[in-house]
Amino acid sequence: MLLNKTDLRVFFSKKGRAVYISHLDLLRTMQRALKRSGLPVWYSEGFNPRIYLNFPLALSLGVEGECEPMDLCVTEEIPGEEFAARLSAVCPEGIGIISAGKPVYRNKDIGSAQYLLGFSGECKALSGELDKMLARDTIEVMKHSKKKGMISVDIKPHIIIGERTLSDRGLEVKVCLPAGSEISLNCGVFSDAFTAQCMSAGISTRLNCAKRTNIYCKNGDFFK
Amino acid sequence: MSLRERIEEQLLSVKNPSRYIGGELNSVVKDKSKVDVRFAFCFPDSYEVGMSHIGMKILYSLKNARENWWCERVFAPWEDFEAVMRENNIPLYGLESLEPIRDFDFIGFTVQYELCYTNILNMLDLAGLPVLARDRGEDTPVVVAGGPCVCNPEPLCDFIDLFIIGEGEEVNIELLELYEQMKKSGEYSKEAFLEAAAGIEGIYVPKFYDVSYNSDGTVNSVKPNRYAVPSVVKKRIIYDLDKVFYPEKFVVPFSEIVHDRAVVEVLRGCIRGCRFCQAGFIYRPFREKSTAEIVRQTKCLCESTGYEEVSLSSLSTSDHSEIEKMLTEMTDYTEGEKVNLALPSMRIDRFSKELMEQLSKVRKSGLTFAPEAGTQRLRDVINKNITEEEIFSACKTAFEGGYAAVKLYFMMGLPTETDEDILGIADLALRIADIYFQNKSRPKGQRLSISVSVATFVPKPFTPFQFEAQITAEEISRRQKLLLDATKGKRYINISYHNYKVSVLEAALAKGDRRMGAVIKKAWEMGCKFDGWDEFYRYERWPDAFAQTGSDIDFYAHRPMSFEETAPWEHLDYMISKDFFIRENKRAKEEKTTQSCRERCAGCGVNKAAGRECF
Repeated sequence: MLLNKTDLRVFFSKKGRAVYISHLDLLRTMQRALKRSGLPVWYSEGFNPRIYLNFPLALSLGVEGECEPMDLCVTEEIPGEEFAARLSAVCPEGIGIISAGKPVYRNKDIGSAQYLLGFSGECKALSGELDKMLARDTIEVMKHSKKKGMISVDIKPHIIIGERTLSDRGLEVKVCLPAGSEISLNCGVFSDAFTAQCMSAGISTRLNCAKRTNIYCKNGDFFK
Repeated sequence: MSLRERIEEQLLSVKNPSRYIGGELNSVVKDKSKVDVRFAFCFPDSYEVGMSHIGMKILYSLKNARENWWCERVFAPWEDFEAVMRENNIPLYGLESLEPIRDFDFIGFTVQYELCYTNILNMLDLAGLPVLARDRGEDTPVVVAGGPCVCNPEPLCDFIDLFIIGEGEEVNIELLELYEQMKKSGEYSKEAFLEAAAGIEGIYVPKFYDVSYNSDGTVNSVKPNRYAVPSVVKKRIIYDLDKVFYPEKFVVPFSEIVHDRAVVEVLRGCIRGCRFCQAGFIYRPFREKSTAEIVRQTKCLCESTGYEEVSLSSLSTSDHSEIEKMLTEMTDYTEGEKVNLALPSMRIDRFSKELMEQLSKVRKSGLTFAPEAGTQRLRDVINKNITEEEIFSACKTAFEGGYAAVKLYFMMGLPTETDEDILGIADLALRIADIYFQNKSRPKGQRLSISVSVATFVPKPFTPFQFEAQITAEEISRRQKLLLDATKGKRYINISYHNYKVSVLEAALAKGDRRMGAVIKKAWEMGCKFDGWDEFYRYERWPDAFAQTGSDIDFYAHRPMSFEETAPWEHLDYMISKDFFIRENKRAKEEKTTQSCRERCAGCGVNKAAGRECF
C-alpha cells in the first residue's frame, strides 16, 4: 500500500524528572504520546506495525535537553504549530514540544553539540582547575568503543570551552563537544575528566547540572 | 535538602532510575493540605511486577476518586537501590508525593503470592517502622493487607493490623470512611479503630482472635477473644461487574513492565472447578461484565494511555457467554486503531479457526495451552475437563494457521500421579510434534518449537486439594529427570521447570498457621527477600529459619490433612463449603470429573451464601 507520507522533524525539551527516561524508554514514551494525540502519524508497514520514530542524536540518561530532535512521518499535511501544540498537550511531565516542521538537514550533517555543565564547590578554585586541565598537553579519558571495548582517548583537541559563570553555587561552564557519526563525545566524558582533575588537586566537586543546549551541523549552522 | 533532592542525588547510580521517581503519565498528585486520608498502596515486589497488577490499578484509582483521599504507589526497591536507600537514610516513600510512608494514615499491601512475604517485612523496615504489629505505636500508620493470599492470612498475622478479605472495591471505601470519621470526631485511637473496623463485613483483625493447638501440633481452634467480633469472617464480593468502579486511566510507566498494556477485566470467578486451582474457588461466584461495557472500557483506556495493546483479563475468557460477539466488537475497534488484542486464559476446547484468525489480525503472538497433566486419567483427577482430541485438534488448527511455536503448561506432583503420567507429558509433546510434521503445507524454513513448562503442584487453601501433601523435594527432582530423559534428543522440545525448593517453601507458607510468623521474621532477618526471584533466592536460609524457630517445614508442606482436621484458615468464610471440598477430593480419588457450573451445579454453595441465583 502506497501512502502519502511527509517527513517531519519535531524538537522537544526533556527536563526535570524526565531526565531519568532512558533512550529506549523515550521511544516508547513518544510513541504512546503520539497515539494519545490522535495525530496522523505514519506506521511502519509489515508484520508489526509501529509508529515510525527516529532520534538523530541520543541524549544520555540524566542529561537535560533543551532542544532535542525527533523525526517521524505524517500521512496528512498539518501545520507545525498545530502538531506541536497537540502533541505537547499529551506529553508526560518534563517533556514539552517546541516546534515541528520539515527537516532541513540530514542526520549525518550533525557535527557537534553544546552542553551547559554545573559543578558544585568553590567557583574560583574550580575555574582555576579548568584552566590547568586545558593547559595540559593531553586529556586522556577512558571511553567505551563498540569494536574495541574500553579505550583511552585524548579529548583535548575536541573540547571547545565557552563562557563560564561563577557563583556561590559553583562553576557553570559551556562546553562544545563533537557529536554525530564520526566522533561523538558524551558530556559525561568531560565531566569525569574535570572531576578527576579537581580530585587530584584535593578539591571536591560534583556535577549538579547537565544540559544539552544546542545541536550544530558540521557547517556551523544549528541543526534544524 | 528535601527527600526528593536526596533521592535524585543517588538515582543515576542505580538501574532503571525512572521507576523510583514518579512523574509518570496519569499518576495522581494532590495538594496534601486538602487531603484527610493518605494511603500507601504497597506491592511487595519490583516496580515491573507491581505496575502490571490490575487490582492495584483499580484500588488506586478508586481511592483517588475521593477528593480528600490520596493513594500513592510503593514498590519494593531492587537490591541496588535498597542499598543506596539504607546507606543514605532514605526512608521508603510514595511515588506521587516522594514523602515517607511512615507518616501516612494507612500502609496497605496486596499479597499476590506467598514468596513475597519477606518483602512485606523488608518494606516495613525500609519505611522505618517495626515489622511486628505489636511494636508499632499509636502514631504509626494502620497496616492492612488484602489479595488472594490472605485467604490464609495466619502466617502474616504478626505483621499486619487488619486483613481485607475478598474483593476490595466496597470494603476499602467503608474502611477509609470509618477512619476519616473517627479522626474527625476525635474518637480515633488505633485500638478503637481496629475494634470498629472488625465490625465491617470482610475485615479480619487478627489480634482479636486466639489460636489454640492440639498436642500433635495441628490447630484446635481460632476463636475471638472479645465480644462483638464475628467468630467467622466472611469475604466480600461485588454483585454487579457493570456497575462496580473500573479505572478510566492507568499510570503509564516509562520503563518496560511485565504486562505493559491496557487491561480490561471481562469476568470474575470461574465455572470450571479445576481441583488444584485456588483462584477458581476463591474468586467465585462467576460474574460477567457486559460486552458493551468491556468495549467502552477498552476504548477509554487505550485513548487515555496510548497503549498499543489491550489484554482481556479473567480466569477463563472463553467462558464469557458472549465471547464471539465480544471478540467481533473488540476487533472492530482494535484493528482500526492498530491496537493488538491479547487473549490470555483461553481454554483449549474453545480454540477455533475463527478465534485464531481474530487473534492474529494485528500482531501474531505465540499460543499457549494448559493441559496441566500428561494423561487423561490424571486430567480427570484434577478435573481439567479437556480431552486429548481437543488438544490435538487445537494444535492442528494452529499449525495450519501458520503457527510453529506452542507453549504447553503442565504440573508435576499432582495427587495420584505416577511415572506413567510424567511420561505422558513427553508423549503428548511428541505427538503434537507429529501433527506439525504431518502438515504438508507448512512453510519451508520454519522451525517447530514446543515449550513445555512444568510447575510443581502446591496444595492451596480453599481447594479440594487443600488436604493433600506435597511430594518431597527429592521426589520432584526424580520426576523432573524422568521427563527430561524422555524427551532427550528432540531439539524442538524445550522443557523448563520451576525450582522445586521454591515450590516446597510456597506450600509451607500457603498452608501455614500463625506460628509461621516467627519463621518468616527469622528468614527475613537472615537476609531473605524476593524469594520468588532466582537471582535472590537463598533456599538454604529457610530450613535454618525453620530450625531456629523450632518449626518443621515438612509438617506444613509434606503432611496430608485429614478431613476432620481444623485448617488454620477455617475461621474465614470464602462462601464455599468444606463439605464440597471434601466431596470433590473424594471424586478426584475416584477419577471422576465434575461438570462446569453451566452444565450442572456441583453444590459448592457460593451463590446460596451470596444470595444469588445459580445458572
